[in-house]
Parts: sequence; structure tokens; C-alpha cells
Amino acid sequence: MSTLKVNAIRGTGASSDAISVNSTDGTCTANLTNPRSFRNLIINGGMQVAQRGSSSTSDGVHTVDRFAMGYGGENEAPTQAQHDLTSSDTGPWEKGFRNSFHITNGNQTGGAGAGDYAQIIYKIEAQDLANSGWNYTSTSSYITLSFWVKSSVAQTYYVRLNAEDASKAYSFAISVTTSWQKITKSIPGNSNLVVNEDNGCGLALYFIPFYGTNFTTSGHTNDSWITDSGSDQVTDMTSTWWTTNDATFEVTGVQLEVGDTATEFEHRLYGDELQRCKRYFQMYANSNGKYTGITAVYYTSTHIECMIRYEPEMRATPSLIQGSGSNYYGVYRDGNRDDFDSFSGLNASDHRGGSLYNNTAVNAVSGQVGAVILNSSSAYISFSAEI
Amino acid sequence: MTYPTNPIYKLVKDVTLSAIEGKDVINQVKIKPTSNSEKIIPFHEANTDYQEYLEWVAEGNTADPAD
Repeated sequence: MSTLKVNAIRGTGASSDAISVNSTDGTCTANLTNPRSFRNLIINGGMQVAQRGSSSTSDGVHTVDRFAMGYGGENEAPTQAQHDLTSSDTGPWEKGFRNSFHITNGNQTGGAGAGDYAQIIYKIEAQDLANSGWNYTSTSSYITLSFWVKSSVAQTYYVRLNAEDASKAYSFAISVTTSWQKITKSIPGNSNLVVNEDNGCGLALYFIPFYGTNFTTSGHTNDSWITDSGSDQVTDMTSTWWTTNDATFEVTGVQLEVGDTATEFEHRLYGDELQRCKRYFQMYANSNGKYTGITAVYYTSTHIECMIRYEPEMRATPSLIQGSGSNYYGVYRDGNRDDFDSFSGLNASDHRGGSLYNNTAVNAVSGQVGAVILNSSSAYISFSAEI
Repeated sequence: MTYPTNPIYKLVKDVTLSAIEGKDVINQVKIKPTSNSEKIIPFHEANTDYQEYLEWVAEGNTADPAD
């Protein structure tokens, strides 16, 4: 057996080493592009999980978990969707992606106003970025963003990162075509960056089909960390996408990782992504005619308390979002059923659990217990702690 | 964001804590995003719905009182 002794291995046409060998301690540093686990800081970057539904015209997170659509100044609302990819989606399909986050523009009959905008938003929890290994105050330490993107309107779009704890932002242009293409961008740290170790927003990513001139300037500085300014977020944009009825813009395979190299997307199992998403949103029950798994205790004859526990614990004390309508919910107890329209509130709650209650429509005997069931296809119980 | 003008927010009593403390504890607020849905927002500073509610209050608005 022989030993190859070198200090580095470099491709014949490369300008940097693929492997750097420590000459004394027997270790090496490799510039890998093949998968390592748990490196993607983006949850649900493959757009697999959509607990709320597959299509919506509302702004906010309403389809693909963790990804929000934002818009303003519209004549007709855009539509966000978890979009099914097919073998015709050359590029991401071969890389194993089966879904995208897809926006279809509305019919903006008033043209492009200065205050009009459409964007896709993803917010990274600050403590996840703070503990990621990125030395964000060093200009020689990088994070790398990669994603697949496609639009029905070929033009220049922008991506923007906002480090909210530092009020610093970084933007860059992307040239998007009507075919899928993979974008990669390495972004250095900056001595003025601040990332708190808390559950707030550490870094917000914006994919921008259109910003009106209230949010842009002709002299905007791209490819550099600058002080965040609401009126100078990106370079002035062409309005073609916004003024094209039913124009589309979609992304998938979003990955943000520490280092200056974009590795292959870290595909994760649906169940793994779902569990991560549940820190921010949990669809607790939404099946008509099915028991919710919730037990109701009659605290008084006209007041039920229903103890719940979030699994996993949520980012913050969540909002209760529920369907609300005539007799949407029922409690089976003592051979009868109490129907009610919605829960009245959420008592003594925190990020681990609480108690749903109703004290307006139920009537039984204090101390009885019952099982809560959904009586309507529009009934659901969910909890949201989105950033 | 653009807030709905009417109906707006309505305060909600925490009946458990109210019973324990012997006085009304108002620690959540309700809003109807659509006609057949309802959102109940806890008064928790990291909850972004609560942050939006505080912005709405800061603009001079007042929620309907709790029942």
C-alpha cells in the first residue's frame, strides 16, 4: 500500500482547490456539491407541504406552507397555488421536484401604479440563522441561495434579502425566462449585520415579480448589504409582468445554506417537512364527520373546555383559525349531541397548548365529557404562529 | 396592510383566568377574515397577528368590547 501525500487537489481548469489537506492533523476541507444532511435553512423548499389548501387569492400564507404571497394595489387579486409539476417541467422535474409555488397575476386593468406590488415571501426564524454556522459579520463568510424559477414573462426580476434585526437588505437581479432555470447566488456577511437568537424574523427572502416605483429607485445598489429603505428596495422594474393578465411566476427547490457553494437540493421526506412546518402552522382537524381527537369537558352546564397540546410546540402562542358557521361543530355526550357554530376563544394558552372553549351554545350537565366532531365540510380547527 | 373597516376586531375574555383571578382578563381578540372563518388572536408579543392588531390600534382604532 502506498500513500498519496498532497496539500490540495484542484481541477485542471479550476481556480480554487476542491480539497484542501491539512498537512499536520490528518484532516481536510472539501468543497462538496453532493448532499449533506440538514444544511438547507429553508423549510418546505420543495413546496411539498400545503396544509391549508392548494389555491387561494388571499395574501399571506394560504397554500404552500411557509411561503406567502403578498400583493397590493391590484384591480384583480393574483392567485397563489401549490402547482403540480409534470415531466414537461424540464429541469426541476429531473431533479426530483414535483411541486412549485405558483402565482398567477390578476387582470390589472388600471395599469402599473406606483404603489402596486406582487411578491413571494419566506421568513427564516432568527435563532435558526444565528445558530447556522454562518459568520454573518464576516465578509469572507457566505450563505448561498439557490432555487429554480420560471415565468410566462421573460424579463429581469429581483430577489431581496432583509436582515430585519439589523435593518439591512441585500438585493440582486435575476434574468428569468419562460423555461425553468436554476439560480444560485452566494452572499457575504457584513460587519453591520445582526441576527438575534430569538423566534422573530432573522432573514426575510422576497422573490419579486413586480414593485411599483414607491418601492424602487433607478440608482438602487444591488449585490451589497445596504440600509433597508422601504422606498429603495430594488432597482426600478419593468411593469410587463404586472400588466399582463394571467402572467405566471413560480419557484421551487429553494435552498439557503452556509458556504459559498450551492450544493444539490436537500430533498427531505414529506413527513420530515410536515413536522418542521408545524412549528408555524398546524391543521388540527378538517375532516367533515370525523372526530377531532378533542375531548370536551363540561366546566358548567353551558360551558365546555377542550384541552389541546401542540405537537411539536409552536414558534409562539398561536392564533386559532377556525371555520365558523351554523352548527359546524358538535359534542357527543350522554347519548346526545350539542352543536355549536365555533369556539368562543382559547383559554390560558401558550406555545405548547391551551384550552378551546365554548360558552354560548352548549347545554348539558356539569362534569360530563364528550367527543368533539366536525359537522360541516367547511369546519376546521387550525393554529398559526407564522413569522 | 389594509385593515377591514367594519366589522373589525372584537375583544375576547379568557374565561379560565377570569375565574381564577376573580376579574375579567382580556387577553385575546377576534377577527373574521372571511364570512365563514374566524381568527382568535392571543395577546402575545411574538404573534404576528397580534403585532398587526397593535398597528391597527396605533392608527387610532378601537376594538369592540368583550361580551
